[in-house]
Amino acid sequence: MVAFRSTDTSGRTSGLLLRCVLYCLLSLGLIIFDKRYDHLGEIRRFLSVVAYPVQIAVASPFQGWDWFRESVSSRETLRADKAKLEAELRLANFRLQRYEALEAESQRLRALRENTAGVANRFIIGNIMDLDIDAFRERVLVDKGARDGVFVGQAVLDAGGVFGQVARVGELTSEVILVSDGTHAIPVQINRNGLRTIAVGTGDMTRLKLPYLSTSADVIAGDLLVTSGLGGGFPAGYPVGTITDVKRDPAQSLAEVDVRPAAALDRSREVMFVWLAPEASAAASVPPPASAPPPASVPQPASASPPGRKATAAPGQQNGAPKK
Amino acid sequence: MMRDDAVRRLPMALSALVALALSVVPLPAPVDAFRPDFLVLVVFYWSIESPRAGGLALAFVSGLALDVIRGVVLGQHALALTLMAAWATHLRLRLRVFSVLSQSLTIFALLTGYQFILFWIDGATGNPVTTFSRWLAPVIGALIWPLLAGVMSRVDDR
Repeated sequence: MVAFRSTDTSGRTSGLLLRCVLYCLLSLGLIIFDKRYDHLGEIRRFLSVVAYPVQIAVASPFQGWDWFRESVSSRETLRADKAKLEAELRLANFRLQRYEALEAESQRLRALRENTAGVANRFIIGNIMDLDIDAFRERVLVDKGARDGVFVGQAVLDAGGVFGQVARVGELTSEVILVSDGTHAIPVQINRNGLRTIAVGTGDMTRLKLPYLSTSADVIAGDLLVTSGLGGGFPAGYPVGTITDVKRDPAQSLAEVDVRPAAALDRSREVMFVWLAPEASAAASVPPPASAPPPASVPQPASASPPGRKATAAPGQQNGAPKK
Repeated sequence: MMRDDAVRRLPMALSALVALALSVVPLPAPVDAFRPDFLVLVVFYWSIESPRAGGLALAFVSGLALDVIRGVVLGQHALALTLMAAWATHLRLRLRVFSVLSQSLTIFALLTGYQFILFWIDGATGNPVTTFSRWLAPVIGALIWPLLAGVMSRVDDR
C-alpha cells in the first residue's frame, strides 16, 4: 500500500512539476507580451467579452433591486421628486439663458487666438456597473466600450465635475480610473487667479492633493479648481474640486493642499464620456511635445510628469500651448 | 477513476464561477477590506481534494479570469495561482491529515505566497500597491478556510 502510494505520488509529482512549469512559463509569457509589447489588446478585448456575462450576472441583481425599489415607490415620493426636479430644471434653464451666447463669444475669442484646445463637443452616457474591480485601486467598470467608440485616455465626467479617465477598453465595457486613484494626476487651474498646477489622487475617494504648489502660492481654502485643458486629455474649464485646506510649513518649500473632488466619486451611477472637438486634438498635436515652455507661474516640478507616475497619468503629455 | 475525474469537472467549474462572482460583488467600503480571496481558496480546495481532475488547469484559467476582470497585466493572477495551487497539490497528502489549526496555518502561508507574487508583479510592471490592507486577505482567508472547506466537502458529497 505504502509502496504503491509512493510510486503513485512520485509519478504524479513529476507530472505536476511539468505541468506547473508549463503553466508558469505560459503566464510569464503573457505578462511579458502584455507589458512589453502590448500585443494582447485584441485577446484582452475578446476575453473581456467572455467575462461580460459574469459581470452582468453579478451586477444585475443590484440593478434589479434598484428598479424594483423605484417601481414600488409611492405616489407621494414621485410627486416630491418631480417637484424637486422641476425646480432644479428651472434654475438650470435660468442659468443657461446666457450660456449659448457666452459659448459663441468664447469660441470667437478663442478662434482669434487660434486656440480651440479642449472644447468638448460630444458626449455619451455610461452606467457604472455594480462591481468591485479591485479593492486597492480606485477604478470602476462602465457599460460602454470600444463598440461605442470609447478610447483609452478619454475624459470621463459626471454631473458634478471631472470623474476620471478611461484606463482600459473592452469590446462592451471599459475601465475608468478615478481622479482620486493614487496613480492619477490631472492638470488643473485655480479658477480665481488662473494659477496652473497638477491635482494628484490620494487613494481616498474624498480627497485629492496639490503637491506641487510652493508655500508662497496664492491659494486659499474654498478656491475652485477647474481643468486647464493642458495635455489635451481633458476638456478645459470643468470643475475638478474645491480646496478644503492649505497647510503652509515655513520649513518646507511646498505647501500641503487638500482638495475635495467635485464629482460624486463614490455615489455617481452615470458618467459621461467626452469627445473633444476635432480642432482641439489637431491644435494639441501640432506643436511638437515639450516645445511649449513650462508655465511661469507654476513651480518647476509641476511642469514635468511627477516621478513614479505611469501611463495612466494625464500630465505626462503636456504638449498643448499655454492658454493664458 | 477517470470517470470520477470527469464527473468532478462540473462542480469545480461551478464553484469557481460562484467564487469569481463573490470576489467582485460590491460590498460596503468598511467590509470590503476584509474580503477574502474566495476564488483562490476554492482553487486550493480542489487542488487538495482532487488534484487529478485538473486542479492546475483550473488554477490557470481562474487566474486569467481574475486578470481580465481586475484589469491588471494578463498572466499576473494566473502565475501566482498556478504556483500556489501546485504547492498545495504537492502538500495535499499531508494537508489531509493535518489538524484544523495546522491546515489553516498552511493555507495562510499559501495565501501569503500568492499575495507576495501579486505584489512583486505589481511592482515589476510599474503600478505598485503599497496599502497594508493587501496583507489582510491571507489572514481572513486562513480564518474562513475551515468553514469553506467544510461547506464545500458537504456539498461535494451529495
